Amino acid sequence: MHSFEYVAPETLDEALALLAEHGSEAKALAGGQSLIPVLNYRLARPRIIVDLNGLRLGGVRVEGEQIALGALTRHCVLEESAELAGACPILGEAARLIGNVRVRTLGTIGGSLAHADPAGELPLVMVALGASLTLRRARGVRRVAAADFFTGYLTTVLEPDELVTEVEVPATRGKGTAVEELARRVGDFAMVAVAAVVSVDRRGRVDEACLAYGGVGPRPLRARSSEDALIGQEPTAERVALAARTARASLQPQSDAFVSAAYRSLLVEVLGRRALTRAVSRALEAA
Amino acid sequence: MIVGFTLNGRPREIDVPPSQTLLRTLRDTLGVFDAKEGCSEGVCGACTVLLDGRPVSSCLVLTPTARGRRVLTVRGLERAGDLHPLQTAFVEHGAVQCGFCTPGMVLTALAFLEQRPRPDREEIRAALAGNLCRCTGYAKILDAVEAYVSGRRADG
Amino acid sequence: MAEVRTVEAGLRIVGQPVVRHDARDKVQAATAYAGDWAMAGMLHAVVVRSPYPSARIRRIDMTRANGMKGVVAVLTAADVPRNTLWTDVPGQTTEVGPLRARLHVLAEGRVRHQGEPVALIAAETEEEARAASEAVDVDYEPLPGVFDPDLALASGAPLVHEGSNLLAHWRVARGDVDLAFTRAAVVVEGEYRTQFVDSSYLEPESGVAWLDSDGVITIRLSTQVIEHFRDVAEVLAVPQNRVRVIGTYLGGGFGGKEDVTVEVYLGLLVLRTGRPVKMVWTRQESLLARAKRHPYVMRYRTGASASGEILAHDIALLSDSGAYAYLSALVLLYSTVTAAGPYRVSNVRVDARVAYTNNPPTSAMRGFGAMQMVFAYESQMDRVGRALGLDPVRVRQLNALRRGDILPVGQVIETHVALPELAARAWAGLGERPVPRAAHVRVGRGLACNFQPYGRIVWLHDWSSAWVGFEMDGSLVVRCGAPDVGGGQASSLCQIAAEVLGVDLDRVSIHISDSALTPLAGTTTASRQLYMSGNAVLKASRELREQIVAVAAPMLATDAAAVRLEAGIALAPDGHTLPLADILRQCARVGVSRSHLGVYHAPAGEPVDFEKGQGKVFPDYTFGAHAVDAEVDTETGVVRVLKHVAAHDVGRAINPQSVAGQIQGGAVQGLGYGLMEEVVLEDGINMTTSFASYLIPSAAEAPDVEAVVVESGEGLGPFGARGIGEPPIGPPAAALANAIEDATGARVSTLPITAERVARALGLVPP
Repeated sequence: MHSFEYVAPETLDEALALLAEHGSEAKALAGGQSLIPVLNYRLARPRIIVDLNGLRLGGVRVEGEQIALGALTRHCVLEESAELAGACPILGEAARLIGNVRVRTLGTIGGSLAHADPAGELPLVMVALGASLTLRRARGVRRVAAADFFTGYLTTVLEPDELVTEVEVPATRGKGTAVEELARRVGDFAMVAVAAVVSVDRRGRVDEACLAYGGVGPRPLRARSSEDALIGQEPTAERVALAARTARASLQPQSDAFVSAAYRSLLVEVLGRRALTRAVSRALEAA
Repeated sequence: MIVGFTLNGRPREIDVPPSQTLLRTLRDTLGVFDAKEGCSEGVCGACTVLLDGRPVSSCLVLTPTARGRRVLTVRGLERAGDLHPLQTAFVEHGAVQCGFCTPGMVLTALAFLEQRPRPDREEIRAALAGNLCRCTGYAKILDAVEAYVSGRRADG
Repeated sequence: MAEVRTVEAGLRIVGQPVVRHDARDKVQAATAYAGDWAMAGMLHAVVVRSPYPSARIRRIDMTRANGMKGVVAVLTAADVPRNTLWTDVPGQTTEVGPLRARLHVLAEGRVRHQGEPVALIAAETEEEARAASEAVDVDYEPLPGVFDPDLALASGAPLVHEGSNLLAHWRVARGDVDLAFTRAAVVVEGEYRTQFVDSSYLEPESGVAWLDSDGVITIRLSTQVIEHFRDVAEVLAVPQNRVRVIGTYLGGGFGGKEDVTVEVYLGLLVLRTGRPVKMVWTRQESLLARAKRHPYVMRYRTGASASGEILAHDIALLSDSGAYAYLSALVLLYSTVTAAGPYRVSNVRVDARVAYTNNPPTSAMRGFGAMQMVFAYESQMDRVGRALGLDPVRVRQLNALRRGDILPVGQVIETHVALPELAARAWAGLGERPVPRAAHVRVGRGLACNFQPYGRIVWLHDWSSAWVGFEMDGSLVVRCGAPDVGGGQASSLCQIAAEVLGVDLDRVSIHISDSALTPLAGTTTASRQLYMSGNAVLKASRELREQIVAVAAPMLATDAAAVRLEAGIALAPDGHTLPLADILRQCARVGVSRSHLGVYHAPAGEPVDFEKGQGKVFPDYTFGAHAVDAEVDTETGVVRVLKHVAAHDVGRAINPQSVAGQIQGGAVQGLGYGLMEEVVLEDGINMTTSFASYLIPSAAEAPDVEAVVVESGEGLGPFGARGIGEPPIGPPAAALANAIEDATGARVSTLPITAERVARALGLVPP
């Protein structure tokens, strides 16, 4: 790969100062699982790499109904944490689907979200959970809702001098969650991915529903009309199937060299129905 | 830049550009050819090394990332000139054809077995799903790992 | 000349699943592959390639590149002494018309495919070479291109080369096809399409070259053909005895390392700079630039009688050579000869064409034109069986070739054909039909049979040689030019020598694959190496044994015929023994050689007149049958293989473990071909130049293939062995398609059988 200047700041302030100074000439290195292939292919030549791995941005904190994930939390931690398995199992379920075991050793949630692959599992799940991202720059801090964070294909609201430092997600105790995806091969980029979060009230009616899709547009999209079709209703198999059909009608995936729009639409419906079915069944158990 | 790390139990220190991957540091700077370059994108697994006991694609690790850490390759498995029993199992079960994927497979299997000492065949299969092999069709690799697991069980 | 034709009893080493010496080295990473090599002062070389599939080169400006740090040489066509590479059916010398093909080492004024080499750079470091390659300014004038063989053969199509886009045309006609159709109770028509595919060996193309102390250009590289030292010499305009190729243990070949890859570039740069030079292709470069498997459009019309006898096949084949011929005409020949399948069909018409396009070149790959045909003829067989209500095993057994039958090209089948047994055992091996695990899942069972030639076409007068010799202490050395692609080629040769000479396997050491130091053995391709060099080693060992035994006999006071050699000892019937070392010392005293060079000549024949279509083409064939149980998700089209049984008649398994490994590995490669592998091209631009987009099966997709090994003993190889390298890759795709129809009623006729294609076939997605 092209040579570059390399700095490994020891504090967050140092890192942010470097990014402020170098702007778009600098690239932040977290897990490297997306950045380094690009450098190996010689598709980018950043002048300076800011290695974030020495910063204290890891760590999972479960505090009641809120879970705080440090941006450097590795995918394997999400996969293996018993605490998260209890508080928010969709995180582990999604992490398990990411790439291969080596990607999961080093890949980070911050990196995955900043990379914003439209079929990425973690971007999708953050939108489904209504996560909140903390973005810091030398000049200050802001919090952005996941749905607003992703703006387009591999594009987010992150400024060149800004870093994701933490992600907050709600615990999903009492709710049912599920992730479904279809890739051309295990561990590959999903053709279509779905995340469903459902809760039912005491009368067995859906009081909260979130159905989010990856791979159907430049960023994760919620199928709001499907969610609306479920709220206040008993989640029967027919209603779930209707919600899935509604999602298919409302989303316009694109074709690419490998998968057609029509097939993606089929998956929107089938995977949507499967994710909702599992989420509903878990929600009913949890209620 | 100077980077010190432990390779197969021995401290090493090298002076390389930070843009050099750990894979190239092992192969080109240290002359350790255990890890192979198969794809440069982290998909094939031929470059697998264990970093603090966990498998990583060394083609995607910049050398500074290894600073102060433990790196293990297959030649670090040897004890007093003998093969590790998992290596012996690979050899005896015909799990090695062209051999290019073999070091990565062995290390990945060992790291997995540390976390899950008594897996069934399907769990082994899932654990090795990230290491590509073009020659064997995988069956004999799974046979070898299974045999090693039951051999260990027999030893108590 | 024909070797043992029956299975021999009492073998000690041959037929045993011995541990391979190279396995022990590889598991410790002690094997130095071609890229595991560094030399003082070594330069790094990179090829500059065309981004356009069709263009004129107006100008190449190397000024910037030449001025960059570390750059030592920048070469273009003008710097190549003889800028033409001939593909003359590697390793052999008999010219056979359209089988001879040529291409430039570096492009001259014109590029015809994306990735075509245009310039060559050597620099002190790889990074400097790559940076310089980006600084070579090539002024291209894009030209129209053609990317489909049908369009290429239509009038008015842009010409890829002068003359015509039709590269080769083979025709075979036997019997009276039109009359036979009038008598058919059922006629099945089908069009089958297969895709470009990549070898995807884990080890990319690699090599290091240097000038030895004698000035010989020495190239250490990963290759299936060390005889390419001649091609290097011709290009460099140096005598052939001044170029040496040392073939390393390959990290996979599969046909992709049969053509010249890096050796000519390395030779050029060593000659130019006088320094050692290394070249290793990146995966992206390999996926982009290395020749692919030929895609086919196969149109079949098949007529059968009411009782299931195949009466006639009318077959049209169209393939894509890409921009350069390489081995395309030969691949098409294999297709033509095998298009009717391993069946007795009296009326066959085959019209086979391959056209130039501006797609990437296609060339050798495991199965070599015969494997693609299996998808067509086994889909047809299945559909015929269905139409007549015959079960899949029965319809194949009914039509299977038998000893004495004649192929459409006029070749007589000279051996027992185990196909009926193979089909039955493969099918039975699946056991009870699995129950679908959920309501939306269907399970189906499919069978496919095949035959694959092994050994070269007989009119190429193939031969192989090997040297076997004792050291004074009774340890044995084998020298043989055979490259080892990972299938245990070297290890099997040791087994054969050890068996004949009564030596323990750990007392045998082997040197392979060195064009200067080992007797030439020809290519490790065409499933020929065990057959050819195995016979050469067998011959050398037997002749050496005779020499040794003639000296041992009087020492043991017995007849030569009565002497046994076992575990390094010579034994007489009366129990008298002598250590081999004593015998060898006596050999030295009396001037009897302790070594022997064996040359094996395959049965030869003369070129067949294909217009008249009669004659012997291949020495022999390996027959096989695969059966699969597949599960189809009827909501998404996703297919999963639940069980796979692969049965082959290997003649004699020299190493049963290696044989099973070849069968399992080949079958999974065949599954990849059937389910997921595809080089996606858009107007000649390759969209799958990474392992993230070109998908080969992982352990998660591969079922445990059960290898059923039948040993009829009638192969032409040592101890009756047949070639097994290629045959297992043929049946899986067809077996899968047949299983899917069994499960769902839907037939998929285009490969790969992706979930989307199945979904379309099921009507889940509008066409």
